[in-house]
This record gives sequence, structure tokens and C-alpha cells, in this order.
Amino acid sequence: MNTRKAFTKTGMAAALLAALAPADAAEMLAPYGQLNTAASEASAGLGYADNDGRRFGQYNGISRDGFYGLLDFSLVKRDDETGTWLGGFGRNVGLYNRQLRFEHTRQGDWGYFVEYNRIPRLEPYSILTGVSGIGSNNLTMPAPPTSPPSADLKTVRDNIGLGFDKILFGNWDLQVRFRNEEKDGTRVFARGTTGAGPVGSFGQFEFTPEPINSTTRQLDVKINYTGTDLQLAGGYYGTMYNNQYNGLNIAGGLAGLSTFTPLALPPDNHSHQLYLSGSYGFTPTTRGNFKVAYAQAKQDDAFVTGVNVPLSPGIGNNLMGKVDTKLAQAGIVSTPIPKLTLSANLRYEDRDDKTPVLLYLTPALTTTDGANEPRSIRTTTAKAEASYALPQYFRLTGGVDYEEKKRNTSPVRIVSFRETTDETSYRVELRRMMSETLTGALSYVHSERGGSPWVLTTVTGGAVGSNLIAPIHLADRDRDKVRLSVNWTPVDPLTFGFYVDAARDDYSTRDGSTIGPMKGKYRNYSLDAAYSFTDQWQATAWYTWNETKADQTTCVGASSTGVCGVPTYSSTISNRSDSVGFGLRGKPSAALQLGADLSYTDIKDDYEQATLTGAAIDSVPAITTRLTRLNLFAKYALQKNSGIRLDYVFDRYSTNDWTWSTWVYADGSRLREDPNQKVNFFGVSYYYKWQ
Amino acid sequence: MNRHRTWGAPFLATACLWLAVWIYSASAFSQSADEIREGKVCANCHANALMVWTGKHGTKADARAPISVGCAMCHGDPAEHLKSPANAMPKRFSKMPSAEKNEVCSTCHQGRARIHWAGSTHERRDVACSSCHKVHVAHDPVRDKLTQSDVCFSCHKEQRVQINRPSRHPIREGLIACSDCHNPHGSVGPAMMVRDNVNDTCYTCHMEKRGPFVRTHQPVQENCALCHNPHGTTNPNLLRQRSPFLCQQCHEPTSHRGNIANLTGTSTSASTLARGCMNCHTQIHGTNNPSDISNERTFRR
Repeated sequence: MNTRKAFTKTGMAAALLAALAPADAAEMLAPYGQLNTAASEASAGLGYADNDGRRFGQYNGISRDGFYGLLDFSLVKRDDETGTWLGGFGRNVGLYNRQLRFEHTRQGDWGYFVEYNRIPRLEPYSILTGVSGIGSNNLTMPAPPTSPPSADLKTVRDNIGLGFDKILFGNWDLQVRFRNEEKDGTRVFARGTTGAGPVGSFGQFEFTPEPINSTTRQLDVKINYTGTDLQLAGGYYGTMYNNQYNGLNIAGGLAGLSTFTPLALPPDNHSHQLYLSGSYGFTPTTRGNFKVAYAQAKQDDAFVTGVNVPLSPGIGNNLMGKVDTKLAQAGIVSTPIPKLTLSANLRYEDRDDKTPVLLYLTPALTTTDGANEPRSIRTTTAKAEASYALPQYFRLTGGVDYEEKKRNTSPVRIVSFRETTDETSYRVELRRMMSETLTGALSYVHSERGGSPWVLTTVTGGAVGSNLIAPIHLADRDRDKVRLSVNWTPVDPLTFGFYVDAARDDYSTRDGSTIGPMKGKYRNYSLDAAYSFTDQWQATAWYTWNETKADQTTCVGASSTGVCGVPTYSSTISNRSDSVGFGLRGKPSAALQLGADLSYTDIKDDYEQATLTGAAIDSVPAITTRLTRLNLFAKYALQKNSGIRLDYVFDRYSTNDWTWSTWVYADGSRLREDPNQKVNFFGVSYYYKWQ
Repeated sequence: MNRHRTWGAPFLATACLWLAVWIYSASAFSQSADEIREGKVCANCHANALMVWTGKHGTKADARAPISVGCAMCHGDPAEHLKSPANAMPKRFSKMPSAEKNEVCSTCHQGRARIHWAGSTHERRDVACSSCHKVHVAHDPVRDKLTQSDVCFSCHKEQRVQINRPSRHPIREGLIACSDCHNPHGSVGPAMMVRDNVNDTCYTCHMEKRGPFVRTHQPVQENCALCHNPHGTTNPNLLRQRSPFLCQQCHEPTSHRGNIANLTGTSTSASTLARGCMNCHTQIHGTNNPSDISNERTFRR
């Protein structure tokens, strides 16, 4: 199955970069002696993009026309005497998203690795702005220029990973993983408030790119015990986030925004977790597992300071944020009789936000009491399932899932709240496996979510506010889900797969209210086919139709006590897509391999708005997005261990997205996107293999 | 004369076939124990299958490695199969129930990341190790970030189209793999998350969102997936819905919060265009600004 599925990769990078990845050594039938040794391979070449393509190059850096270096390698050497492996790996070394890895292992004894990965994200919008100081935490707003210069924004994650493994003694071993990630760059950010802006702008909104200069570290030290019946894993997992900047200072700009500096940036924080998990085979037919963990997260970074940051007395210079999380889980699976399998699982997680509650804001407003609002949540889930084998390789499974969430809230709030929600799901599935020609499964799940009485929105002083909406994650909800999967092989070289996923949500509104989330719908139909013409030629094809839809209602200008204004209106937001893909792999001769992948996606987002009471309103224009990708490659062996590879990638992105198309900031900045982006990329490389 | 020729050719061909089989069988049994163990005999018919030895399964110095036993370690004793290749089959994974296949692998591969395999969704839905892993190749696609997602998409069709949406993670480029967020061997987190819950999984890359902050946004602290679909969307920043529709699913329609989405260029269109509601409420994940300033609660500084 996977052999055929492996051809379904249709992404641009898959063809472009896999082209240069180590070749599958199984491509050629090698003599017995050569099969015992892993092969190394290196390739080098040149690529050329004929056009700028910000979407095409968003994560690979090929966003401008021009030449690019193509360099990949996979070096592997095994010393058969000692079982020692020496490995080196490089992918996209000549591109902006390069990956490198070195590893050294004595199999069954010890091993270590060092790796480096770069994950870039180039801003897909071209930016015209006169803001100065971009990239730093000191920005200066310009007087609105008529022709602002362009700026390219991007973020780059450079991460280094280290790993060490050592078998200690008996069945015990040590596993250490460490990752350090430096994230640098600038991302789209802004500040704004109500009120009119300069002529030509959309109001008092100013473009204030956020500087990114942070370090993330993770350390996982684990001791494992792996016995025949008992397995254990226990250790420490620590994380740390360090941000170079805790505030963004902005000089100049509109008078109405003059107090919006500094803007607070994400604070440093760190966490430490101790955990123990295990699995135990009570009998050959009964196995249980568990996990217990305790974590403490802290955020005690110094507050941002400045003339616009007046402090209430007694709050200190940092939040003293502290969150303790306790986790306990236990599960068991048993097959008491050969045809019957029973399983059960219980999980409890208590996230206790112990941050001190202090008065940060003089309670002059009606929508806050001025105190910070720690968020605690306690989640309990339970699952039980029974599965029975029927004749003809059928299996019938039924189960019940239960989830309860308990949350805290503050005395004053502007969103209705529920301290407890609980959801029970009933599911049944009929599955058929192990058939030569037809396998599949049909399942149905019905869920009902309810909860404790609503905690009303309350303003300072205790008066009840507007209580019209049941927030979507707290509302009573009935959900029905159906899933069908069928795999059919009518004749040996031909396989079909048919998959259906459908779900429907029905939300209840608050008592006495007619607005809020109403319904949700999801459907995904997919048809896959794979055909092997000969051992040398295979083809795949797939089609997927996908839809998500949400119906919700709200109203304009409700009173502070929750009397709807007019109009009351509904919004039906839907996303539909048609996607199709074709793949072809061929080997017309011993020296030549050919491949082609084509994918096309047509996505339409609709935003229909309709008046329920009051004057008619307009809908927002639909957005259509189309993506086309064609990848072709030819690989020709000049000699047994070397050859050339040619690649061609066509990538097209088109959209009528209006998100930024007319928007102008008060400082004159604007973000724009080429609505039709088309890139042809050509690559030629030489590869060499050795053992 | 013709009748003799008609019967003679098949007879001769059959005799040659039997002779060939006899010679082949004889030669098979003439192999040394090492050659049989390492599959040289098997390679006569299953040449590519021996690619298994190019990987860790084939490291002779590791006494745990299958090569110490040979093909028989996973496929059973080949003796009968060698005598009668067409009639006596060793263990054929393609014909075995998932549980039996997994039992073979779990003889060695237990514990560590697989501690929660029993009872996991994949285990309960008959997913076999060989459904995802290829053993008889030098390079297992599911263990390569670039090709892993294709393996997952053989079942997860919805995600196959979502990762191609304009707002997405760099899965196509092989910079992020499904296994960066999910442990397909089972975990205690929902949807087999690699960490214990959704948020802790997201924090492995987006730790700046963890806080806690002076001003916290309740759904942010509860579950990132309430607002974001990490597999890809057409909305900015992987949002499940576009502003203001997303915000209106929770917020009361008082003040400006019930504004009708529009592109008119008036002040009300600011909740629809550009960053939408986040044009003003810029610190939507929470802010650590302690200012004693009016309206500071609303994530604007």
C-alpha cells in the first residue's frame, strides 16, 4: 500500500528537494554482496527561478528570480566489526532552509548526534512603509510619505539539536535531548485605537513591525527501563523562553496613539516537569499503561517600563506568574476471550494558575475590577471501548468517551462563562480487515456537550451585563460524526480508496436569546486510485472535495444589559475546496527514471450575511484561491554510481483576497500581494553514490 | 510424427523445469548456515528484501539485531518454504492481522516512545507497524521529514489538502513533520500529541504564547486549537475563521463587537480588513503590560 501511496506527494518541495535527497537504494537490483552495506550519496547542482514568487519561496527562500545552489548529501558508514555507525546528512545546503546532521553511534551501546536546522518564514506580502528602526525595538513613525520605500520582513529560526543515548546496564538506558533555537527577524504588527485617521487611511492604525529576537531551549533527560513485561520511562523536561525585548518603543505618530508606547512584548518564561510513565503486561492478553507528571511554569520577567506605564501600588516589578500542572493517566487493554477486546482509559490534568491576584488597574471602568485574571483548568477524561471479532474478518467496536472541564473565572467579566462543561460521546464502528480485495470501516459518533449554569457577565459593582452569547467552546452542543473508508482492489495492479468524513454540530443558544453560534458542518470526500501498468510504470490519482461551514448570528449595538440592537443578522461562513492530484513514476530503461506530479486546488471562502430583523445588509465578497503545482524530474545514470538529474517545477498561486488590498495605515504603510504569482524553477544536478 | 512432437515438447519442458527446481533446491541447501541466515538463499527470489540489512537490522555486531537470527527472526523458519516455495509460505506480513504483525515487531521494539501504544487510537484501529514503516528499504520514508506526511496522508485525507492552504506550517518543505506534534505510537495527550496537551505541544515552538500574562485571554490559555487549525487554512495565521466572525463566536454584541463585516473603508471595516479585530487588540494572546491605564484589559498595549 505504501509503495503506491509514496507517489502521491505533490508539493513543490517534495519533487524539488526529494530530487536531491538520497536515492532509494532499492532502485536497482544489486548483487547480494552490495546489499549488506548502506550507500552514501552526494549531489550538487544549480537551480534557476524565472520569476519572483513570495508564496513559492515563503519557506524555502526561493522568493526572487535568479540562480540557487543545490547541494545535498547523505553519508553513512558502518563498521561491521564494532557495529559503529558514522553518518552525515545535509539537505538543501545551498538553500535558505538548510538542514545538517552528524551522528555517531555504536549500535546497542551508545550514540550521539548534532543537528542544525533553519526554518525561514519570508513574509508573503510586499510591504511599503516609511517606518524607521524596523528590526529594533525603537521605531519612529514617519509623516505619511507619498511613496514609502519597500521593506522585506522575515523571521528565521536557527535551531541546534543535541542528543545522546547510552545503554547503562541490563535493561536500563539513558536518553538526552537538547534543542536551542534562536529566532530572529521581524513580523507584521501594529497599534490602533478608535477614531478617524488621516485622509486616505482607515483610521488610527499605525504599522509597528515587531522585532523578534528570542531564544527557546528544551532539555529532556529520560531514563528508560525496557523489560519483557514492564517498561518505564522517567525523567525531566525543562523549557526556557528568553526574549531580548520586553517592550516596543514607538516615537512620533498620531496624537491619539501617543500613549500606546511601549507595547509589551512576550515575556521570558520557563517550565520544569518531572514525569514517570510505564507499561506493564499483566498477562499475555492484558496490558496496562500509566503516566504521572508534575510541572511548574513560571513567568517572572521584569515589566516593561516607561512614562506611559504607570503602576498601581504594590504590584512589584514582575507578575510572579506561576502555573502548576499535575497529570495522572492510567489505561488498560485486555482480550479476555480471543474475539473480544476491552479497553479503558482515565486521564486527569489539573492546570493550577497560582499567579498572585493583584490590583493592576484602578477600577474606574465597568468591565474590569482591575485585577489580573489567572486561568486554571482541570480536565478529566474517561474512555471505555469493547471490540468483538465477527465472521468474515469483520470487527464491531463500541465505546463511550467522557470529558469534563472545570475552569475558574474572575468576579468581573465581559464574556459569559461556565465553570464546568462535560461532553459524552457514544461511538460504534464496523471494520473489515484482512480481505484480499475489500477492506474498510464505517463509524458513527454522537456527542452531547452540556455544562453547569451560566455565570453571567458582570460589571464592577455587581450589575449584570449583556448575556446573549454562549461562547462556542462552552455552549451546549450536539455533534454527529460519520466516517467511512473503503479500500478496494478489483484486480491486482489497481487499487481504489474512498473516504468520507462528515460532521454536524448543533449549538444551543442561551435561554431567551436567539443569537450566538448556531450550526457547524464539515464534509470531506476523497477518492484515490493507484495503478501499476508494469513493474516499471505506476500512476496515482486522487480527488478531494472538502467543506467546512459555520452558521452564527449576532446583532449590532446591543445595550450594556443585553438588549439587541438592529439589525440582527446571520453569518454563514463556508470554505469549500476541490483538490486533484496525479502522479506518475516510470523507468523506461535501466538507466533512466522519470516522474511527474501535478496538483490543483480551487478554494472558495464565502461570507454570507443576511438580515434577520432590520434593514438589509450586504455580504462580504467571496475569496477564491487557486494553487497549481507541477513537478517533473528525470534521472539518468551515466554510470552505475553516478548520473544527472533534471527538475522542473511550475508553481502558480492566484487569489482575489481583499484582506490587505485596499488597506492603508495612518502612517502610509501598506501591505500588498501580487494576486497572480507564477514561478518556473529549473534544476540540474549531478549525483554520485558510493559504499 | 506430429503427435510425437506435440507430446514431446511439453514433456521436455516439464522435465527441464523439474531439473531446474531440483538443482535450485540442491544449491539452496548447499549454502552455508551464515548464507541462509543472512538471506542469500532468500535473495534468489527476494533480492530487494535484503535491503533490510543495510539498516540497523543488519548490524552484525549488535546481538539484538535480526541479522543474528536472519530472515527467520520475523518471517519464521524458512525450511519448508525452501523445499516447496509455492506451497509452504513463511510468515507473510501482507496476509497477517495487524496484531500479529505488531507482535513480531514488539518482540524487540517496546517501551520508550511506544509505552502508550496499547489502547492508542492507532492500535485500536488496526494500524500495523508495517502500515507506516518500510523495513526492506535503505531509507524508511516515514522517518524522513520530507516524505513522512505522504505516509500519514494515506489515511488522513483531510490533512493532505489542508497543508496546501495559503496559511500553513512548512510541512511540504519537510521542515516540520507530523511527528513534531503527534506521536503515532500513542501518548497521553489528545490526538496523540507529543506533549501532554495541545498547548504544551504548541509551546515547543511558540513558547512566547505561554505566559502567564497580566492580562490573559481565556481560550488562549485553554486550547490553541479553539482559534487555530494547525494543519492549514485560508485565513491569516492559521485561524479557523476570519475576523470578526471568529471573535463574534464568543463575544457579546455590545459596543462595536456586533459590527457587520464590510470592506467599505469606514471605521467599522477595521474589524474585517488587515488584521481585523487585532488592528486594535494587538496582544490577543495576552499582554504583560502592567499599566494602570484605562481599558488596558483589552490587549491593546
